[in-house]
Amino acid sequence: MTNSAGGFIKAIESGSKHLLLKRFTLRYPEKKLKFVGDGYQFDPKRGVGIAGSRGRHILFHDKCTGCQLCAIACEGIAEAIGMVKVNEQWKHNKKAIMPQIDYGKCVFCGLCVDACPFYALYMTNDYELSSFTKEHLIYTPSQLGIKPKYDGDVELKIGKRGADHG
Amino acid sequence: MENLDEKFNETIKMGLEIVKETEEDRLMTLSVGPQHPGSGHFRFTIKVDGDYIVYCDPDPGYVHRGEEKMCEYRNYIQNIPHLERPVIHDSTNITYSYSLAVEELTNIQVPLRGQYIRALASELNRQVYTLYWLGIYGIFLGHSTMFMWPLGDRELFIDLLEALTGARVTHAFNIPGGVRNDMPEGFKDRCLRQVAYFEKRLVEYEDIFYNNPLFRQRTEGVGILTKEDAIKLGVTGSVLRASGIPFDVRKAEPYDIYNEIDFKVQYMKTGDSFARSMVPFLDMRESCQIIRTLLDKMPQSGEVRAKLQPNPKGPAGESYKRVESGRGALGYYIVSDGTPKPYRVKLSVGSFRNILALPYLLIGSKLADMPSIYWSLNYWPVEADR
Repeated sequence: MTNSAGGFIKAIESGSKHLLLKRFTLRYPEKKLKFVGDGYQFDPKRGVGIAGSRGRHILFHDKCTGCQLCAIACEGIAEAIGMVKVNEQWKHNKKAIMPQIDYGKCVFCGLCVDACPFYALYMTNDYELSSFTKEHLIYTPSQLGIKPKYDGDVELKIGKRGADHG
Repeated sequence: MENLDEKFNETIKMGLEIVKETEEDRLMTLSVGPQHPGSGHFRFTIKVDGDYIVYCDPDPGYVHRGEEKMCEYRNYIQNIPHLERPVIHDSTNITYSYSLAVEELTNIQVPLRGQYIRALASELNRQVYTLYWLGIYGIFLGHSTMFMWPLGDRELFIDLLEALTGARVTHAFNIPGGVRNDMPEGFKDRCLRQVAYFEKRLVEYEDIFYNNPLFRQRTEGVGILTKEDAIKLGVTGSVLRASGIPFDVRKAEPYDIYNEIDFKVQYMKTGDSFARSMVPFLDMRESCQIIRTLLDKMPQSGEVRAKLQPNPKGPAGESYKRVESGRGALGYYIVSDGTPKPYRVKLSVGSFRNILALPYLLIGSKLADMPSIYWSLNYWPVEADR
């Protein structure tokens, strides 16, 4: 028990020191973290992905051929992708079908992006997908075609007064 | 009046005869769990005689979801996202041994840089898991600062893994043939900076928690697992190492590039709750060193992933591979019948083996020591139930 007092004093000291240090917590809705790049992408020629955040998808209508490979890849994972008719006419997409993604089911593994051989399906930084109804979580091809805005710019800073998120 | 008194005494006598105290009546049965009064999603029934536990019956299975059966209906790639669900805080390690086993089955060679990045992600994820476990251990011993600090510092590694893999918790990063993407630009500097900061924090953890006399009194000499018992019960990971056996799969059966990495296996000899909680902490410190070595030795450029067919399949056969996860040896036994889907997948997880030691440690100890013994076993119910 001789060391007891010293141990207590040291414990209290190491805790109370933090009164003078910066706060680590990120104040989320006001401030958002900065991500690497524009989102997870895949290069089918090299067979390797490009690092990035795996948020909601972006679909390039001018590249999608309606081959259904993304839907087949998703079959055993989440069954979130379904092919639907679109009112567009493309030479490369005669059937005029494109993926529609149900974000109530999607697990954001990104294996559908790996499956796409035509650079048509990527992922973006947008992760705020909450909605009031289940139906609003189903994103149609036209919704997936819009590039989301993400303006997170906070980075972790490590200085003399501890780490903080700005 | 006398009459009434007699009547009263008779009633008391009759009552006493009805509730005649037997040996069984002295014991009180308590059900701990399964909905998280300090047990995770796991139930165990204990009987107490006064303050001492005399009986313990662990009852896992509350969160069983048939992961092994689910594997038989999906191909080798589609299995990855659902296989990391049993232990999402350690999702890189649980798919690591799966990838190794599938590579052996299908005869895929992983490029060197891919092996390094895979080991790096595995070490980062080990930190995430251990910090989460440490936070829970702290709060169940009533030390709320030790809940806040590890869960805050866990963000350091979650941010790193997010930059590397794209997801915060369920990474789906390991794939048969390597990893899914290369490291982003500037990742190495960021990683070194944050690991250096984390090492400074570990000193503070020691001051406020591990050297705290209150914590020491609650854990030292509590729930001692001897060396012989540890071998007999077949425990693994930090529980085994705390009992004085320096066994680590990374050292004993090196996989990928671990035979080129120089590190010490951390172990303690006492085998009590304190040792079991100290060993993961020492592992975190060692892991920081390993991360630095990996970043240093890594080839600067090159392929990270072997070319893979969209639907890989190998000849009929079987393979078994194991890695060191946050909770001990984690092995996969896969049988293939030559089709793109596995015929049988069997997981051998550290959690399930460690929980077998629970009754042996609890019986004879005080009820108040229950949280400190239970959480020191490094048990993750969902992984054990699979």
